[in-house]
Amino acid sequence: MNDAVPLLTLCLLWPLLGALAIGCVRDGGRAKRLALAVAGVELLLTMAVVFGFDPSDGGYQWQEQHLWIPSLNAYYAVGVDGISLLFLPMTALLTLMALLAGWNSATRLNRFQLALVLILESTTIGVFVALDMALFFLFWELTLPPIFFLAGLWGGGAERRQAALKYTLYMLFGGVPLLFAIATLALNHAHYTGGDVPGGLGFNLPDLLNTPMDAVTQELVFFLLMLGFAVKAPLVPFHTWLPTMAMEGPAFLTALLVGLKLGLYGILRFALPLAPQAALEHRWLVAIVGAITLVYTALIALQQTNLRRLLAYSSISHVGLVLMSLAAFNYQGQQGALLHLLNFTLIAGSLMLMAGMLQQRLGSCELVHLGGLAKPAPRLACLFFLFALANMGVPGTNGFPAELLVLIGTLQAYPALALVALFGAVLGAAYLLGFVRKAFFGPTGAVSATCPDLTARELVLLLLPALLVLLVGFSPQTILAWPESALRVRQQAVAEAEAVRAASRSAPSRAAAAYQEGSI
Amino acid sequence: MAAYAFLIPLLPLLAALSIGGLHFFNLLRGEAGEKLSARLAAWAIGLAAALALGLLGLELAGNPSGLQVYGSWLASGKLIIGFSLQAGGLNMALAALFGALLLAVARFSRNYLHREPGFQRFFFILSLFAAAMLLLVLSGNAVFTFVGWEIAGVCSYLLIAYAYERPVAAHNATRVFITNRVGDGGFLLGIGLMLAWLESADWQTLNTGAADLDRGDATLLALSFAVAAFAKSAQIPFSPWLARAMEGPTPSSAIFYGGAMVHAGVFLTLQLRPLFERAPAAMALLAAIGAMTAIYGYWVGLSQTDIKSSQIFAASVQLGLMFLECGLGWWTLAAWHLAAHAVVRCYLFLTTPSILHNTHGRPIEPVPAALADCRWAFIASLQRGWLEPAVDWLLVKPILQLAKDARYIEERILDPLMGSPAPAIRAMSSLAQQEEQKMGANLSSTEDRFAQGSGLAGKLAQWTSALLNWFEYHFILRGIGRESIRVGRRLGQAANRFEHLLLRARYLALFVLITLMVALGYR
Repeated sequence: MNDAVPLLTLCLLWPLLGALAIGCVRDGGRAKRLALAVAGVELLLTMAVVFGFDPSDGGYQWQEQHLWIPSLNAYYAVGVDGISLLFLPMTALLTLMALLAGWNSATRLNRFQLALVLILESTTIGVFVALDMALFFLFWELTLPPIFFLAGLWGGGAERRQAALKYTLYMLFGGVPLLFAIATLALNHAHYTGGDVPGGLGFNLPDLLNTPMDAVTQELVFFLLMLGFAVKAPLVPFHTWLPTMAMEGPAFLTALLVGLKLGLYGILRFALPLAPQAALEHRWLVAIVGAITLVYTALIALQQTNLRRLLAYSSISHVGLVLMSLAAFNYQGQQGALLHLLNFTLIAGSLMLMAGMLQQRLGSCELVHLGGLAKPAPRLACLFFLFALANMGVPGTNGFPAELLVLIGTLQAYPALALVALFGAVLGAAYLLGFVRKAFFGPTGAVSATCPDLTARELVLLLLPALLVLLVGFSPQTILAWPESALRVRQQAVAEAEAVRAASRSAPSRAAAAYQEGSI
Repeated sequence: MAAYAFLIPLLPLLAALSIGGLHFFNLLRGEAGEKLSARLAAWAIGLAAALALGLLGLELAGNPSGLQVYGSWLASGKLIIGFSLQAGGLNMALAALFGALLLAVARFSRNYLHREPGFQRFFFILSLFAAAMLLLVLSGNAVFTFVGWEIAGVCSYLLIAYAYERPVAAHNATRVFITNRVGDGGFLLGIGLMLAWLESADWQTLNTGAADLDRGDATLLALSFAVAAFAKSAQIPFSPWLARAMEGPTPSSAIFYGGAMVHAGVFLTLQLRPLFERAPAAMALLAAIGAMTAIYGYWVGLSQTDIKSSQIFAASVQLGLMFLECGLGWWTLAAWHLAAHAVVRCYLFLTTPSILHNTHGRPIEPVPAALADCRWAFIASLQRGWLEPAVDWLLVKPILQLAKDARYIEERILDPLMGSPAPAIRAMSSLAQQEEQKMGANLSSTEDRFAQGSGLAGKLAQWTSALLNWFEYHFILRGIGRESIRVGRRLGQAANRFEHLLLRARYLALFVLITLMVALGYR
C-alpha cells in the first residue's frame, strides 16, 4: 500500500542533495541555516515514513528493490520493519540537535563540516534501511570517511588526528570479519539453492534468513558477525576507541557516535537472526561478555574525572546491559533492548552535547575546573540532572521502562546475570551522582563562576529531548506499539530455531541428513 | 466517587509541574513569587488530602471502595502492567494521614522558608514528593509503588542537597541516594521475580497467590522486598543514612524522616503480610533486624547532643520496633504504631526550632550514669557503633579498589595493547597542522624512528621486530649470561606480585561471587 512512493530513497538522497547544495552556497551563515533546514525536512520525511507505517504488519514496509550489481546478484534493496523504523526519526532528530549544538563551533571550513554531518546522516540512515547485505556493508563502511574527517579536522583535543586514525583503523579491522561473514552467507545461499557462483549468490536479508545453514557455517558466520559488530558497539576489549574519540573529537560528533548504536543494531538485526542456532548455542557467552562489559566499564567510570570520558564509559556500560538483554532471547529482553537503544539516542546524545557546551564555556570538562556550577548555570544543571536521572533509569523518565523490561528479560533467562545488572544500576547511580556532586554542587570555583547559563538556542535544542524523555517515561506504549508485531515475528523465529536445536540435539544424524538432502 | 482516587497523586504532581515549569522559565522568582508557589502547593496537597479523607469517611460509613483500575501502562507479550489504585483499607487511611501531615508541613514551610533563595525549589520538590508518597501508598501494583518509592528518594536527595553550596550537604545527599539504591535493587528484583513467577505485578495477585507459592520462592521474594524495606526505613545495616539526611531544611526532615517517607519500608512490609506469613524465615529476619536496630538506635541516641540527631535516633528505635512487631506477627499493632509515630515525630521535628529557641543557654544534660561508667559502651555510642566505617571497609573500599584496578588494566594494559596509533600518517593535514606549518612551527615533524608502525597491525609488526631484535641482542649475541638470570628473576617477581594481588580479599570475594553466580545459573 505504501510502497508506491520511494520515500526511503528520498530519505537517503535528501541529505546528500543538501550537502551538495551547501557546497554551492558561499556565505557561511546562510550555509548553516540551509543545513538546518535540510535536517529539519529530513526529520519530517522520516516522520512521514513512521506515520505511513502499518504497525500491525510485522514484515518489511516501504520496500524498494532494484538490481544493483548484476554480476554479484546484489540489489539496491531498502525497507523498514518495526525494529528499524524508529531509528530513522531518532537519527534525524539527533543530527538536527548536533547541528544546532555545533552552531558556532567551527570557524573554518564551516560548509565542509555541515556537508559532512549531512552525509553522515544519510549513510547512517542507509545502515538502518538496507535490506541487502552488500548494500548494508557499503553504507556501513561509508559512515567512516565523514567521521574520520569530522574528528580529525574539528576535534577539540590535541591528538585528534591520532584519535580519528585509531577510530578508522578499528572500524576497518571490524569490517574485515563482516565482509567475510557476508561472503560466507552469500556462498551458502548459492550452495543451498544449487545456483552457480556468482549467479546464485544472494545478499537479500529476507532470503538469507530463510536459507538453511549447517552448524559449522553458522558458527563461523555468528562469530565473524559478532566480532565485526563488537568493535563498533563497542564491547570489551574493543572499546578503547570510544573514550579516545570522546576526548579528542568534537562534542556533536561524539554525541552521534554514542547516541546511535550501530553495532548493537547490527547484532540485533543481523548477527543473532542470521545464525539462529549458533546464536542460541552461544547465548551464554554473549550474555557474559555483556555482563563483563557492563561492570568493567561502570567501574572505570567511577574513576573518571573528565565528563566526556565518563559519558563514554557510561555509554559502553549500557551497551553491555543491552547485549545481556538481547542474549536473553525472550520477548521482554528484545523489547527492553530496543527501547533502551532508542532511549539512548536521546539521553546519551543530549548528555554528550551538554558536555560539549561545558567545554565551550569553560574550556574543559575536567572536575578541577568545574564545581558549584548549579549557581551560575541553574538551567544547565537542572537539565543535566534530568538526563542523568534518565541515564540511571529513574521512574518518570524513559530509562525506567527500558531498565524494567531488560531486568525482567534477563531475570527469566539468567537469574545470576540479573543480579549483575542490578549491581550495575547501583554503580550507575554512583558514578553519575558522584560527578553531579563534584561538578554542580559545592562551592563555586573561580573558573566555573564565569559559566554563562544556557542560551535560547541551546535551551530549545535540549528541551525537545527532555520532553520526549518525560513523555516516553510517562507512556512507554507510544514507542513500544511500533515494533510489537515485528518483535513477535522475531520471537516466532527464535522459537522455531529453538525447536530445530532441540530436535537436532536428540537426533544429530537426522539434521545432518536433512542438510545433505537439501544440499544435493 | 472512588474512581476519582487518581486525583490524589495527580493534583500534587500538577502543582509540582506548574511550580517547576514557571520557575524554570523565570516566571516565578524571588519574594514576589513566594505566595503563588506556596498557595499552589498547599491547595493541591490540601485538596488531595481532603479527597483521601472523604474516601476514607465513605469507607468508614460502610461504603468500601476497592481496587480502581485505570488501564495499562506497559504491555510486553503476556505481561501487562496496569495503573490501578487501592482506594480503601490501610492504603487510603495512610494516604489521608500523610496528606494531612504534608499539608501541615506545606503551611509551616511557607513562613519558615520565607526569603530563602531556594523557596520555589523547595515547594516544587515538596509537591513532587507529595505526589510520589501518595502514589506509593495508593498504588495497586508493585511497579507504581516503586515509581513513588524512587521519586520520593530523588526528592529526598534534592532536599538533603538543598544548600548545595555546602560540600557536606552534597556529599551526604549522594551517599544517602546510593545507599537507598541498594534497596531499590532489592525492590526491582522483587518485581522481576513477581512478573516471572506470577506474570503480574498486582499486589492483590501476589497476596492471594502467596499461599500457592513454593516456600523457597516465597522466602526469596519476601527477602527481596525486605531488603528494600530495610534500606528505605533505615534498618541495620543501612541505618547510618538517616543521620546523614539531617542536612535538609527542618520542615523537609519533618515530613521525609519524621512523617512519611521513612515509614515506607514498614508500609511495604504491612502490604505484603500474606507473603511474609508464607515465609517464616523472612519473618524471623524482620524481627531480628528490627530488634537490633531498636537497640542500636537507643544506645547511640543516648549520647547525641544536637536535637535533630537525637530525634532521628529516637525515630530509628520506633522503626525498629515496628519491624519487630511485623516479624512477630503483630500486624495491626505495627500499623497503628506507624500512624501514631508519623504524627508524633512530624510534630516533634516541626517544633525543634522552637525548642532550641526556648532552651537556649541551658546546659545539656549529661549521659545516663550507666553509660558514662562503662567506657567502651560510651565510645561505641559516640562512634555510632562504627556501622558506617564497617560498611565502608566491607563494601565501598573494595569496590573503589576494584575500580582503580580496572582503570589500571584499561590504561596500562588494554589501551596500549589494542593500539594507540602513532602520528605517522602525513596524508591528512588538519587545520591545526596547516596553521603550524604556516607559522613555521612544524611541531610534529620529529624524526621517524626505525620501524615506526601505526595502528594495530603496524604496532604489532613494530613490536615483533623489536622483540626479535632484543632477543637476538640479549641471547644470541651475548650468550646465556647474567642478563637472562636477571630477566628470570624479574619475571618471578612479577608472577609473585600477580599472585599476591590475586590473594587480596576483594579478588577472593569476587571469585566467590562468580562461583555463586555460576552455581545459580546452572540451578
